[in-house]
Amino acid sequence: MPSRTAVGFIAPLLLLMIVVFDAPILYMLALGFWSKQGGFTTEHYGNLLEATVYLKVLASTLRISLIATIANVLIGYPLAYWMRSLSPRAQLVAIALVITPFWVSILVRTYAWIVVLGNGGIVNSALINLGLIDEPVRFLYNELGVTIGMANVLLPFLVLPLFAAMLRIDNRVLQAAASLGAPARTIFWKVFFPLTIPALSAGALLVFILSLGFYVTPAILGGNRVSMVSNLLDKLINEIPRWEQASAISTLLLIVALAIFAAYRHFDRRVQS
Amino acid sequence: MKRRAFTHLATAGVAMTAIGGVARAQVKEIRIIEAGGKSGESIDEYIKPFRTKTGINCVRENPNPLGKLRAMVESGKITACLFELGSDSAAQARGLKLIEPLDWDAIAPQPMFPEARTEFGLGYQYFSTVMAWRKGVKEPKSWADFFNTKDFPGKRVLPDYPQYCLAFALLADGVAPDKLFPLDVDRALKKLGTIKRDIAVLWKAGAQPPQLLNDNEVQYAISWSGRVAGQPKIAFTFNQGMFDLSYICVPKGAAKEERAAAMKLLHEMTVVQNQAKAAEVVSYTGCSPELEALLPKDKINEFPTTKANKSVQWQQNAEWWRDNGEMVDKKWEQFRLNL
Repeated sequence: MPSRTAVGFIAPLLLLMIVVFDAPILYMLALGFWSKQGGFTTEHYGNLLEATVYLKVLASTLRISLIATIANVLIGYPLAYWMRSLSPRAQLVAIALVITPFWVSILVRTYAWIVVLGNGGIVNSALINLGLIDEPVRFLYNELGVTIGMANVLLPFLVLPLFAAMLRIDNRVLQAAASLGAPARTIFWKVFFPLTIPALSAGALLVFILSLGFYVTPAILGGNRVSMVSNLLDKLINEIPRWEQASAISTLLLIVALAIFAAYRHFDRRVQS
Repeated sequence: MKRRAFTHLATAGVAMTAIGGVARAQVKEIRIIEAGGKSGESIDEYIKPFRTKTGINCVRENPNPLGKLRAMVESGKITACLFELGSDSAAQARGLKLIEPLDWDAIAPQPMFPEARTEFGLGYQYFSTVMAWRKGVKEPKSWADFFNTKDFPGKRVLPDYPQYCLAFALLADGVAPDKLFPLDVDRALKKLGTIKRDIAVLWKAGAQPPQLLNDNEVQYAISWSGRVAGQPKIAFTFNQGMFDLSYICVPKGAAKEERAAAMKLLHEMTVVQNQAKAAEVVSYTGCSPELEALLPKDKINEFPTTKANKSVQWQQNAEWWRDNGEMVDKKWEQFRLNL
């Protein structure tokens, strides 16, 4: 019975988790049912239905997160696929290049995009000097800017698990397909791609759920014109301050995220079996 | 030196006991939570004389969201006995019972503008919300011009705070400054909607509008006066601008000794010479009606409370925003969604 000692060793950690992590979350959930007078109420949830604007912000968040996830998949999948084809040494360099931005503060990276994509930024001045455009393209302060910024921050979360999964694919499986006369395209779509689906969907899910909570990028690159739920929560917590309403919205966001996760699990199990 | 400081403290202690009847002189340090930026730095000009006189240090912290005050008061851990709040936040904080009345006898203020002296806060700094533009573009003379994107083409940056934005839309729509409140929110948002294609950014941080004007991302801005004053590439006008006050308040439940010390710092904030020094750090002005004579002549147009500037502006209505802020915020959120 090693478990008894194990519990003893792990108990302080468990306690710490409960006190500093679980208890505040419970408190936050409870706050949503707290009335101004101190009793139980559902008015904050009623508010959500009454003032549909909160739900619309949530919908906008889901939409932008979905766009960012799709952008990530479109960039990340070919990147991971290309990395697989490199020599082991080049792969190390490529991984380092993917991970490096990870170590740079998200604030710095986000502001860097202003320098790159602004009206007087590198990209626009290059395009104008080349005579390709007359007026600067508005990359920033709209959904495009937010999507670019989010894709940049989240790319490693998709590429790394995907790349790891691709490396595990046995080359002999692909060779077997080739030896049976399948053209490259068929091998990719019928053999290679299905084998990467679990990693791809897990990575995409991770990116999507992380997107839901983005704060800095929409605030800076969206110029606050793009509404996302974190920015709304910031306002309700810090400016108004209506913590009870913020709690109700957070709870709803948590439920949405869990529902998406549950749907993924269901889907994943069906694929596995 | 140590001994001198001790006598100093002891004297201060006796004085405080005499006034408050509760104070002990053990306080070595108090804390103030302020708005940050140059404005925060300017508070040092009040802390210096306070430290010399009392031997007590004052540490600055920022930023100062209302949520922080609520967290502090509700948790019962008052880490700072002074808290800076914009007029609307101060009115809200008072409604939520997060601040307590000041002891004006202990502050013993020097002459100050009447609106700066309130039961729950000392208006230590005037700031204005004004229209600004990049030099070289067509100069707007009024808010009607600012909202006329046809004759005054260019991108706009507006505050992402309805309380610093909506009233200007009504002025542009022909409402007189003294008829602004109660604010016709729907009319204001409708007017804003007419220029939504040209609203490039909604700003959250006061540093954004000057940055965006300098980068030529936008050509016209609604900005806080102190952020655009003295910028070589930017022009602005106080005409039809809105002046507002930032108040220093005491969080509910602050320790009595600290509170007593804090009143002495508040006194320094009413001293006109200190205000003149603070105005050199940031071009916002203190609450003394006599300050104008001490301000630098070459920059006199940059200050919100000189006679010439104050007379062309109107004052924010914090009470209206306290009562209607939440309703407006929902509509504002809706407006942003449709941008």
